[in-house]
Amino acid sequence: MFNIWRLLFLLLLVPPAFAQEDAPYFVTYEHHLEEPGNLELEMNTTTGVPRNGQRAYVAPFAELQYGVNRWWTSELYLEGQSTAGDSTLFTGWRLESRFRPLAAEYPINPVLYLEYENVNEASRIQKEIVGKAALGFEPNSELRQTHAHELEAKLILSSDVRHWNIAENFIVERNLSESEGFEFGYAFATSRRLTQSVSPRPCHFCRENLVAGLEVYGGLGSTQSFGLQQTAHYAAPVLAWALTDKSTLSFSPAVGLTRHSNPVLLRAGYSYEIRGFRNKLRRFFGSH
Amino acid sequence: MNYRPLSITILAFASLACLGIAQTAKPPADKWEAPADAAAKNNPEAKNPDAAAVGRKLYMRTCVGCHEEDGSGKDTGAANLRSPEVQAQSDGALFWKVSNGNTAAGMPSFASLPETDRWDVVTFLRTLKDANGTGAEGSGQGKKDSPKSKGR
Repeated sequence: MFNIWRLLFLLLLVPPAFAQEDAPYFVTYEHHLEEPGNLELEMNTTTGVPRNGQRAYVAPFAELQYGVNRWWTSELYLEGQSTAGDSTLFTGWRLESRFRPLAAEYPINPVLYLEYENVNEASRIQKEIVGKAALGFEPNSELRQTHAHELEAKLILSSDVRHWNIAENFIVERNLSESEGFEFGYAFATSRRLTQSVSPRPCHFCRENLVAGLEVYGGLGSTQSFGLQQTAHYAAPVLAWALTDKSTLSFSPAVGLTRHSNPVLLRAGYSYEIRGFRNKLRRFFGSH
Repeated sequence: MNYRPLSITILAFASLACLGIAQTAKPPADKWEAPADAAAKNNPEAKNPDAAAVGRKLYMRTCVGCHEEDGSGKDTGAANLRSPEVQAQSDGALFWKVSNGNTAAGMPSFASLPETDRWDVVTFLRTLKDANGTGAEGSGQGKKDSPKSKGR
């Protein structure tokens, strides 16, 4: 466990962080919200390579992220899961909102995150790691029988300094279906564009279109047992490639830092932004 | 059960929510004008043949989400950058607005971009005028900041 704190300390030494654009993180949230009226569609997968004797799984999930106004972004998640040698199933949905109380840029920008989850125990997307490491590896047919209604809140702190972004998330989650107390987790991340120089010529696979970073995330136990015992923690390099000004491809191999973590989690994602979605919809229905 | 971490979390959220309510209750400024000395600044990138192309890339990276590809903002409700009101402003005034933003009206500050990049964006904004055939003639340098200009 000492290694985790050493890693977090090293992360804090990294000079703080980047500008205006979305950072490439899979788990950590930063302070830039979706522009009002825009809709971002994302397809992501989390592929788990578990320890010996457990079956590998792929957990795809779709995200629809909508900018309600300049201080409120809302997002719907639809998730599924497929386990090797077992079955493929729908594992549930999540609805979250992020509120940015301070519109101007500050050295540290806070965002409030609130989420309701209606998922079953077969869920594997691992959008956040909280509490103790408790992924069940029973057959999907058994896991899907247990539903979890969960409320989750995050305090997101994020900064853009020079060409870097640095973000910290502090997570508290309550499973309304079980008496597990309140579970806690964290996620820290930093990223920057590989080069700040901009070529006047069009280019696709060039450094100016690549953003790289590092995420560290994990659980911190619960009110019943707060601490690092039996918790999962990951360190994950992240790389995002802006294919066009509307679409981005992202990849992140996460390495488990404790024996309660998966040895490897591979995350991949594609996002596409529909600008002016609200007004396009109004025009389509003839109300504007 | 130890509720202390939870109490601290709830307190932090409540404080930030109050800040948010206070912030959103603040009305946007009526006028958003660059100071005269800022508006009088010349664009050092105006004669750089690559500036507009670089500015376009930066615009597509940082501005297009609100102002849209053609600068019209028609689907997002952001300011129309092709309009005579915007194009009549000097390069210095536009540079000041890009740098300082008008957060009460939804326009963020882009001061974190290098200064040359901000001038390149301003140079690109002039090509939006050319594409539309509207706005003032010339590069806009040294022209008076429009008193009607508003945020976003």
